[in-house]
Amino acid sequence: MKPRLRLSNLAVLLVLLNGLAPSLWVLLTSLKSDVELAQRPITWWPEHATFTNYLRAFSEQPLLRFVGNSLGVAVLSAALCVTVSAGAAYALAKLRLPRPGLLLTLLVSAALCPPASLLVPLFEIMRGLGLLNTWLALILPNAVLSLPVCTLVLVAFFRTIPDELAEAALIDGCSHFGVFRRVVLPLSVPALSTAAILALVNSWDEFLLALTLNAGAHTRTLPVGLMLYQGEFTFPWPVISAALVVGTIPIVLLLAAAQERVVGGLTTGGVKG
Amino acid sequence: MNSPTPLSPRRHPRRLRRPLLGLLSLALAGQAFTADITLRVFAGGTAQRPDLLRHILDDYEAAHPGIRVEIQTGAATSELQRKYLSTVLNASDPSLDALQIDIVSPAQFAAAGWLEPLDSYFGAERDAYFASFSPVYQKVNRYRDQWVAIPFTTDALFLYYRTDLLAKYNLPVPTTWEELAQTAKAIVDGEHNAQLRGLSIQGAPIEGAVCTFLLPYWSQGREFLDANGRLTLDRSAALRSFALWRDLLARNILPANTAETKTGDTINDFAAGQLVFALNWGFAWTVFDQAPGTKVKGQVGVARIPRVAGGEHVTSLGGWQWSVSAFSRHKPETVALIRYLGSPEVELRLAREAGFLPSRPAAYTDPAYLAQLPWLAEAGPVILSGRSRPITPRYAEVSETLRNTTSAVLGGSLAPEEGVTQIEDRLRRVLR
Amino acid sequence: MSALATTKASATRARRTLGWLLLAPAVVLLGAVVAYPVGRLLYASLHQLNLVDPAATRFVGLANYAELFADPNFWHATGVTLRLALVTIPGAMLLGLVLALAADSDSRWRWAVRLALLLPWALPPGFCGMMFAWFFNSDYGVVNDLLVRLGQTPRPFLVAPGPAFFAVSLASIWKASSFVALILLAGLQTIPAELVEVARLEGATRWQRFRHVTLPLLWPSILVALIFRSIAALQAFDIPYSMTQGGPGRSNETLAILTNTLVTEFLDIGYGSALATLLLGLSLVLSVPYLRGLYRSHD
Repeated sequence: MKPRLRLSNLAVLLVLLNGLAPSLWVLLTSLKSDVELAQRPITWWPEHATFTNYLRAFSEQPLLRFVGNSLGVAVLSAALCVTVSAGAAYALAKLRLPRPGLLLTLLVSAALCPPASLLVPLFEIMRGLGLLNTWLALILPNAVLSLPVCTLVLVAFFRTIPDELAEAALIDGCSHFGVFRRVVLPLSVPALSTAAILALVNSWDEFLLALTLNAGAHTRTLPVGLMLYQGEFTFPWPVISAALVVGTIPIVLLLAAAQERVVGGLTTGGVKG
Repeated sequence: MNSPTPLSPRRHPRRLRRPLLGLLSLALAGQAFTADITLRVFAGGTAQRPDLLRHILDDYEAAHPGIRVEIQTGAATSELQRKYLSTVLNASDPSLDALQIDIVSPAQFAAAGWLEPLDSYFGAERDAYFASFSPVYQKVNRYRDQWVAIPFTTDALFLYYRTDLLAKYNLPVPTTWEELAQTAKAIVDGEHNAQLRGLSIQGAPIEGAVCTFLLPYWSQGREFLDANGRLTLDRSAALRSFALWRDLLARNILPANTAETKTGDTINDFAAGQLVFALNWGFAWTVFDQAPGTKVKGQVGVARIPRVAGGEHVTSLGGWQWSVSAFSRHKPETVALIRYLGSPEVELRLAREAGFLPSRPAAYTDPAYLAQLPWLAEAGPVILSGRSRPITPRYAEVSETLRNTTSAVLGGSLAPEEGVTQIEDRLRRVLR
Repeated sequence: MSALATTKASATRARRTLGWLLLAPAVVLLGAVVAYPVGRLLYASLHQLNLVDPAATRFVGLANYAELFADPNFWHATGVTLRLALVTIPGAMLLGLVLALAADSDSRWRWAVRLALLLPWALPPGFCGMMFAWFFNSDYGVVNDLLVRLGQTPRPFLVAPGPAFFAVSLASIWKASSFVALILLAGLQTIPAELVEVARLEGATRWQRFRHVTLPLLWPSILVALIFRSIAALQAFDIPYSMTQGGPGRSNETLAILTNTLVTEFLDIGYGSALATLLLGLSLVLSVPYLRGLYRSHD
């Protein structure tokens, strides 16, 4: 018994170290002053913990607006992505279309475009549609770029749902769409939440397109906004850490809530019959 | 198109609009806001002081009814700004009228057709206007015999030194690299301070590393490009340039992690009192002198960059320029605007309120300027000996090669001979 | 008999119609957002198109591709990308698996574990790179400070190719592990607890339970995670770029960094587009066997 316990405890320790250690460092840095950071040797625990960095984070840049924009774009693009990919995944996984493998491959290939090459064409498209510096200019590309991974995750999941369930519902007089809506989707909350998380994070992380398509001050997202705290030649880690801590809280809360849907379905095993 | 004087108020476009709209705008506007032209200025990041620019532009708007000017700031680093500008201009977007660009960018942007040539917007006073600027701009800001940019601020690399330490050991300001090495060693050995280092330069693969390579190279009297933009690399001079830095590394005058050092690192270290000498830009002076937390206030001296033995004193120029976008819909008004922004009055104001260095040689002996920035007297000879980095539309490739190779040589992962060969091979093809 | 056939046929039609309808929004979105840029990419790659030399623009067919294959920088970047991929793909998969298993357990640390899983992900990759660059900084970095406290000599990590590669790999694995963990965690949810329980009652060890029950059922999720981790590794840009700008020298210059440099710095659109197209094609070729494996694993 003892050796096994130690191994799993080690795993847990590794996990905590992996995820929390760098984040903890950022948190500690946000409480230090610029002067303290220039010291050698470096300090771990802040000498004189100060909250001025947080005040500066809000006063130097419209941090709340950055976070709001990022959240808005992320949530809406995730919603769009999950909706579209759920339908596409179901079609490919369950509705026995011809050549599903080929269709799936084509879908996945959309993820393979290096963002740098999308910049100018997307800029022209958005400009033509008059969408520059709006949320929509980012929602559409972000949703599309997450489409492949969400679709694939959902395809993998849908395929684990036994066909008998659908057939039973069909015999009962349900339409195909009804099967999708009333039988499959409720069972898929974990997978849908997974897809939502993936789309949320992809959108949250996205930088290049946000820099180019939403360059205006009102619609700046967080990754772009965070870069504004730096000077041309200085990188003020204390202020940026504070901004990072503040900016990351909402998305972590969102992700945690979504993750509960993923793992929460642990014992409700409709699929596992 | 010729608009030799600043703007006369625009004709009201109302009679071109449908009456309903006209009534509506009448109802909406107290002022004649439908007659306003709005110019958009791309003004870089916080380092370029858009807050100060806003005041200057407010005054411009007051003096020119009918013109409104908006500032758009980009990301903080010039690299991100250039990326954004490239995308926008590549898409021929008319949303930006005036552009603030780096000193190394005019050739590239003009070659791409993104900058409006300015000559035709000036009258007979054109030559006089541009002659007031430092002569180096005759090459930097001109493309195919036309002016494409007006200087906004200038800058150069200086040698910063600790006046107190040099005085304490009774050592003169070094004029050659060898003198600097010996002075630094004497001071560092004498001080017994584990944190104190001799010299800091920029060795990270950033734009500053280009200057790191070019300074000793130029000091030997060599040119990087000929008049036609072809590569004229002198191998032995380039080798000597690398050898100089590697020698200083070996003697521990330069710290071992120089290949990681960025401009901000040098500034922070010097301001924290951990350096005897530092190579950095003019704007660092304000940091050393006035930033909260600086430990070297009143102990900073500026000097010319040392020369190699038997060489000359040179420095690298920096700074920002104003240009007009080729896709602007209000070119005459924009040219008038940047003429104003490059005028002596604005220059004096920038010197006074932001410590920006002027681009006109006359300023460095002008009492009005010296009253605002006393250190201009020392800075003058340095700036006026400044050279521009290679002027070529392919500067991006020159910069990328030089900065990566220099950083690798400084880090020890590339031998100097290989480095020089790499530079030659990559750039000879590009700079034909 | 024929009535049954007709019903079946109409049922099939109804099913297929729904299928196409459900697929349509995805196709439309993709067409609108991706098709035009990709088309432009292909078009540009067939031209000599350098923005700073507009007069020389002309159609050159496959010359850009030929020049790429003769370009030592291309091969060097390919080597860097492959080396990075060979390290970060297994690394992230393994770490992600451990994370997922740990998060799935009933341990009382479950909450902390799940938080620890999410945090690396919530950090924008550019900042992740800068943060790790700072950790590995020779003067101000935590890693060197730790080494000093443990009595070792500090070393400038990001200045030498080997240690820099190590640092970049570490940062990449760290960031990617959350992604893998999430997908695997979702996959773990589809494994019936009863199966595992039965195996345990039959005396299977932990490893045997994992190997013979969990792993086969997890395989589809593993494949999904593997596909996207591989594609991301192939297109590695944010972390190596923000950490070292592809340095020292060019030792961490991946294909995506090279593409970015060509397109946005050198403004050599034709040549850069050719490289981007190659990257796209390579990623496509790589993902096809995975996708086939995904479909086959269920038949």
